Amino acid sequence: MIRSTKTWQAVALTAVAGLALSACGTTDTGGSAGGDEGGADCNFKIAAMGALSGPNASIVVPSVDGAQLALDQWDGGDCEVTLERFDTEGDPAKATPVATQIAGDESFIGVIGGAFSGETRATKTIYQDGGIPMISQSATATDLTQDDPVEVFHRLVPYDDYQGAAIAKYLLDEVGATKVFVVDNSEAYGEPLADRVEETLGDSMVARDKTEVGQTDFAPTISKMETAEPDAIMYGGYIAEAAPLLKQIRDAGIDAPFIGGDGLYGADFGNAVGEAGEGAVVMCPCAPIEGDSTFAADFEEAYGGAPGAYAAEGFDAMTIFLKALEDGARTRAEVQEFVSGYTGDGLSKSIAFDENGDVPQDQVSYWAYKNEGGTLTPEVEVKPEG
Amino acid sequence: MDFDALISGLDRHTLDGITRGSIYALVALGYTMVYGVMKLINFAHSEVFMVGTWTVLGVYTVLGVTAGAGIGMVIAATLLALLAAMLASAGTALAVERIAYRPLRKKGAPPLIFLITGIGCSLVLVEIFGQVLRVVFGRPFGRVTVNIPSVLETKTVFTIPGLDLAVSNTRILIIVGAIVMMLALDTFVNKSRLGRGVRAVAQDADTASLMGVNRERVIMLVFVLGGAMAGVAALLYTVQYDITKFDIGFIIGLKAFTAAVLGGIGNLRGALVGGLFLGIVEVYASAIWDSSWTNVYAFVVLVVILMFRPTGLLGESLGKARA
Repeated sequence: MIRSTKTWQAVALTAVAGLALSACGTTDTGGSAGGDEGGADCNFKIAAMGALSGPNASIVVPSVDGAQLALDQWDGGDCEVTLERFDTEGDPAKATPVATQIAGDESFIGVIGGAFSGETRATKTIYQDGGIPMISQSATATDLTQDDPVEVFHRLVPYDDYQGAAIAKYLLDEVGATKVFVVDNSEAYGEPLADRVEETLGDSMVARDKTEVGQTDFAPTISKMETAEPDAIMYGGYIAEAAPLLKQIRDAGIDAPFIGGDGLYGADFGNAVGEAGEGAVVMCPCAPIEGDSTFAADFEEAYGGAPGAYAAEGFDAMTIFLKALEDGARTRAEVQEFVSGYTGDGLSKSIAFDENGDVPQDQVSYWAYKNEGGTLTPEVEVKPEG
Repeated sequence: MDFDALISGLDRHTLDGITRGSIYALVALGYTMVYGVMKLINFAHSEVFMVGTWTVLGVYTVLGVTAGAGIGMVIAATLLALLAAMLASAGTALAVERIAYRPLRKKGAPPLIFLITGIGCSLVLVEIFGQVLRVVFGRPFGRVTVNIPSVLETKTVFTIPGLDLAVSNTRILIIVGAIVMMLALDTFVNKSRLGRGVRAVAQDADTASLMGVNRERVIMLVFVLGGAMAGVAALLYTVQYDITKFDIGFIIGLKAFTAAVLGGIGNLRGALVGGLFLGIVEVYASAIWDSSWTNVYAFVVLVVILMFRPTGLLGESLGKARA
């Protein structure tokens, strides 16, 4: 028994030592890779931060792969730029230490992300203090740029006011709904989105209910639906909860059309909802990629699958950072200045950031994707206004 | 606040609440029995339940059974899954006892160490299913929600006349299944020789050992019994919700623990009362307000009840074996 205690002590010591060493290691690299040393003065790192594992990873991973593809295709001469992936699981609490680490490491000159709105809200002031420019490929909450904008934050997607309006418009025009039941997940993304849908629908909304992240039993919501007898159901939230919700709706014999926002726009959606999700509609500010680019083919070759959620936006975000380096930007401040003033045609849309860091909202098109046999297929384009 | 929603659908909400509460009650048995005998809250019990749900998925996968199978296959698959889930959950509970708690007990560790160890075991099991098995086997393991084939398809068996309330086969199975298992366990503890040993250790462990009761075996027995009940709960859960995931036990475990405390921890019938009560309160409150505050309702009720009945609704008494 004494022997085993010693073994444990040894294991514990080794673990502690390992941690300490690896921590030192990180700091060391951070110090030396910073710039002027070595051959080129443009050896930098770009961070990608988002849910790279977990139930919502399929909404984020393709965009980071898209960014990697842009980097792989870049001919930077002597510059050695690397993309480092940071997994936050989409959780603001896990994103905060990640952001502190990135902001504190001078070799990072840009951040792609945050992928979700909650983590972005939690970290943007950290990045602001560090002066490190962010380009988000998919954080769509309205308040990020409209209520309290920070200089360093830019995004390639329109905000949820428009998405909510697009969903409502789809429900009214395409579905012809007059009694919509609106459900949200009570967090940073789902709730304001559902609010906006409610606002736009007006009298065409019959009832509203709130659920929570991590919920699996939606019985109370289902009984409310049975009473309300809706002719369409809108859910503001992510795949993890949408799957059991949708199954329980269908199990209860309610067959009203189901529509969600871009929080459901991931390859896992079809798998997660199974047969119950047949015909479910997902609204996304992401147009199907046009045929004249080699992007889709390149992506498929590199990652063995069609470009998934926000792959084009990820590609565009990386491209902007790389162009900043080509332009001679060598510090965070210079990169920030370049990004803020950037205009150009991206893969996803033509890009120019306004003073809040948004792309022009009239550049944006929304697409309704229908789940057919487990795959999200483009159905129709929706213009939120007019 | 929408009291109309509650009153107009009272029958349906009650049924939903009893369904939810039945599962809480079955899981609560594991907490309550272990507490009764060892005065220990076994926080790894939530993962014992989680292992059960994965076992159900495993059995269905091995049998290749999916939704729409013939009635014979459905019964066989469900029974096999039940048996396998009970065995797997009981095995997991026993393993936790042998690997984690027993060495501590031998060294006379203070109660806090047991508590932390339980939480540690819980995390280890969660990460085994969330990460380790994913690396080894790939999908379906991982931190995602996994579908379980709805082998037993939901069908309305009868409608309660007057209320217009449709009662489905899955609900009958859950409620009847839970009550039968609880009655069986209650009878076992109160009437059998082994059960007498459990009660004896719960009352006074030292005296019981002097009387020739093997304390270690009683402890193993309560872990196995509690685990088996969690296995039953796991099957019933998958029948109703058709999903599992690596951390599915967390919330259910927490609620079941609450149910056990609510009913009077250490008291088998208290677990049933507490579970059903908690399930019904949650569903009623979610109907009046909404589901995003479910956990708040649950714990507000717990606090209020404990203010007036500090030992729970039925009091703490595995040893006293009220009958």
